[in-house]
Amino acid sequence: MADFGTLCLLMALATAGWAMVASYNGWRIQSGELILSAERAVLATWGLVALAIVALEHLIFTDRFDLEYVASYSNRALPAMYKVAALWAGQSGSILFWVFILCTYSVIVVLLHRRRNRALMPVVVTTLSGVTVFFLLLLCFLARPFVGLSHAPPDGMGMNPQLQNPFMAIHPPCLYLGYVGLTVPFAFAIAALATGKTSDTWFRTTRRFTIVSWFVLGTGILLGGWWAYVELGWGGYWAWDPVENASFIPWLTTTAFLHSVMIEERKKMLRVWNMSLVIMSFLLSILGTFITRSGVISSVHSFTRSDIGPMFAGFLGLCVVVSVGLLLHRLPLLQSEHRLDSFVSRESTFLFNNLLLVGAAFAVLWGTLFPIISEAVRGVKITVGPPFFNEIFVPITFAIMTLSAICPIIAWRRATPHKLLEKIRIPFGAMVAATALMVAFGMRDLYALVSFALSAFVIATTVMEFYWGTRARRRATQERWLAAFWNLLDRNKRRYGGFVVHLGIVLIVIGVTGSSAFKKEASATLGRGEAFSVGRFELRLEEIVSRDTPNHEFLGARLAVLDGGHQVGTLLPGQNFYKAGQDPSSEVDIRSTLREDLYLIMTGFDPQQGRATLKAYINPLVNWIWIGGLVLILGSWFAMLPDLRERRRTAEARLRELQPHAI
Amino acid sequence: MRSDAVPGDRPRGLYARPGRRAAGIARVLAIGSVLALAPVPPAPAAETTPQERAEHALMCFCGCSDLTIRTCSCGTAARVKEDIARRLASGATVDQVIEAYVAQHGEQIRSAPTKQGFNLLAWVVPFAAILAAGGLIVALIRRWQARGAVEGAVVGAGGSASPLANLSSADRKMLERVEREFRRDL
Repeated sequence: MADFGTLCLLMALATAGWAMVASYNGWRIQSGELILSAERAVLATWGLVALAIVALEHLIFTDRFDLEYVASYSNRALPAMYKVAALWAGQSGSILFWVFILCTYSVIVVLLHRRRNRALMPVVVTTLSGVTVFFLLLLCFLARPFVGLSHAPPDGMGMNPQLQNPFMAIHPPCLYLGYVGLTVPFAFAIAALATGKTSDTWFRTTRRFTIVSWFVLGTGILLGGWWAYVELGWGGYWAWDPVENASFIPWLTTTAFLHSVMIEERKKMLRVWNMSLVIMSFLLSILGTFITRSGVISSVHSFTRSDIGPMFAGFLGLCVVVSVGLLLHRLPLLQSEHRLDSFVSRESTFLFNNLLLVGAAFAVLWGTLFPIISEAVRGVKITVGPPFFNEIFVPITFAIMTLSAICPIIAWRRATPHKLLEKIRIPFGAMVAATALMVAFGMRDLYALVSFALSAFVIATTVMEFYWGTRARRRATQERWLAAFWNLLDRNKRRYGGFVVHLGIVLIVIGVTGSSAFKKEASATLGRGEAFSVGRFELRLEEIVSRDTPNHEFLGARLAVLDGGHQVGTLLPGQNFYKAGQDPSSEVDIRSTLREDLYLIMTGFDPQQGRATLKAYINPLVNWIWIGGLVLILGSWFAMLPDLRERRRTAEARLRELQPHAI
Repeated sequence: MRSDAVPGDRPRGLYARPGRRAAGIARVLAIGSVLALAPVPPAPAAETTPQERAEHALMCFCGCSDLTIRTCSCGTAARVKEDIARRLASGATVDQVIEAYVAQHGEQIRSAPTKQGFNLLAWVVPFAAILAAGGLIVALIRRWQARGAVEGAVVGAGGSASPLANLSSADRKMLERVEREFRRDL
């Protein structure tokens, strides 16, 4: 089976290479047969990579420890769910999974667009296949998943205990779907540049792919935060780890693109900028992978390091040269009619919004890479940790929130001061009222006050946008309130889906603010019957619990949770000791409410004295982060729903592009 | 009254000059956003005692995380916390405690770059880049606005409600030439 897997990968390399070459030559000499052959080769590549994955999973499930990958990332007692997840637990497996996702995207693009976008598709296929060839080269020669061992161990080393968590089984696929999805808009951008067809077809065609990538990348980041929160046992969810940053940076630039593309749609402006943002997002996703894989920057994500860093650096350099070269070559075609009617317009606020989002991405990238820069310039390696990022990122977030509150109420083209003041009155009043209320209730933390006040501003603006829109529709159509509200949303899915996403982001900001500014913690070493306090809670050790499972042994401490003398629940934090021999992993227990989380970790246990060392946190409002994530997902889904008006506009754009050929 | 006045606006008092008033509001909003960028003093309520400040300023070197001593819950962090408490109790300042650890483990143990010398770049460059790009955007908006105003004036003089669409190619070329000359004279 291992030889079969290797053969599949080698054949996939050949078919992907053929797809790249045939598609490019088909486009150059306008040969329909070559182009068709390339498209079929894309389908064949997908099939071969899928077979390689089936082969690797078969080897994992049948405990073939004569294979290095299986022996390193699986063991006999590993539950079935994690045997599936073992595919992306190691370096070569995760690259194989990456290629599979890329091939799946390629197949979807070919099936959906080979007839609709004949002009762009050959170069799109060339680009997608080119990226596929690079990853297949890694798999066939540098990070081979089907390498055998001379002596098979009786059992495998098992999966990293921290990865044995349901969220971790979903988090990497989401991130990969997001990262890899950014290749599709990049491929269309390159095709538009190469063919010179730089009108709006390329971004209208790929917008759905971009939103999907943005959405799954965001979901992946949130799931990663959740995983860190429930698994890593330090009471937090985001540590500005280089690998976390690597996923966050392209998400920020894609967010900028999703906003600025609206200006291109309406005003035919910012064409070079939008093209640059799509290229930048893809390059940053490759840079992120480079950071993840090369180990060039130290990170907690050290599961998958190897020496493929130079290959990634080379590929990144090639992509930069090709895309920037094409962009410069086509600059004359991308000249747009840059005209603004007024400084106070939606267009202007979008420009500043882009500045802040790309500025935020740059700030995070700068902080992530600064240790390397410092080492290169001064020869001194330094750490750029959470305090730096918090200090840099918080003011930028405040500025973005200010714009999020103002932008929706400023009209396109030109806002009159009368209208602007009329519209801003209520949201601004809500912000002032919220601030006064917080001060009256004794809140003095400056960060929290500003953050909550701006959150109130954005929420009020967004709610008022829904209200104003419904009221206007009701007046125009005489519909009932509910019908007017629903029809308003149904006919403007992107706009109102976007507003729901804004609400989700604000809820996340509220959760982050509450859990950062008002966090409380306490720790103690307790014997049976002893207690310690954190905030208003008292925690009393009831008993030490131990359990045995085929995969691990669990040792934990059961504690009664008392609030004002009354027991409100029990918590059972502990540690898992894996039989495959890895370090123990902490298993936190959380009492979760909308107001706060009581988060409990057992950091140590003394078997001689029967005493457990415990650490407790109170994380206020932390659940609003996950609720905000759900709202964000809901809004994104709504914005992605099929929109007839959008389809018509896309069809019209394609027709416009085809007209010169008809002549 | 300026040509960009909107029907229904009151032509006196607060809204006497809509364009200028709008630009004023825009500046206030832009300045507000920029002011929001000014770093707020980093004094979250959770890190106010000397012990907490020292824990916050040092990275844990347990090798299993990228967390500060304050947030890491491993045994190494617990030992460092006890050591910090001991040093502070014996009269050392927070800076002295941090320097002692830097002398022992190198610069890498600081959780953030110092705000002096080369390391100052880490703090300054992101904001400087954003402010410089912001200045560029303001300049671009003004330029594009001026271009729009010229076009609007020319089209407005022709009395056409729908600007360029109704122009003949000769008129369009003439307009473009006027616009080019105008830009050259700006």
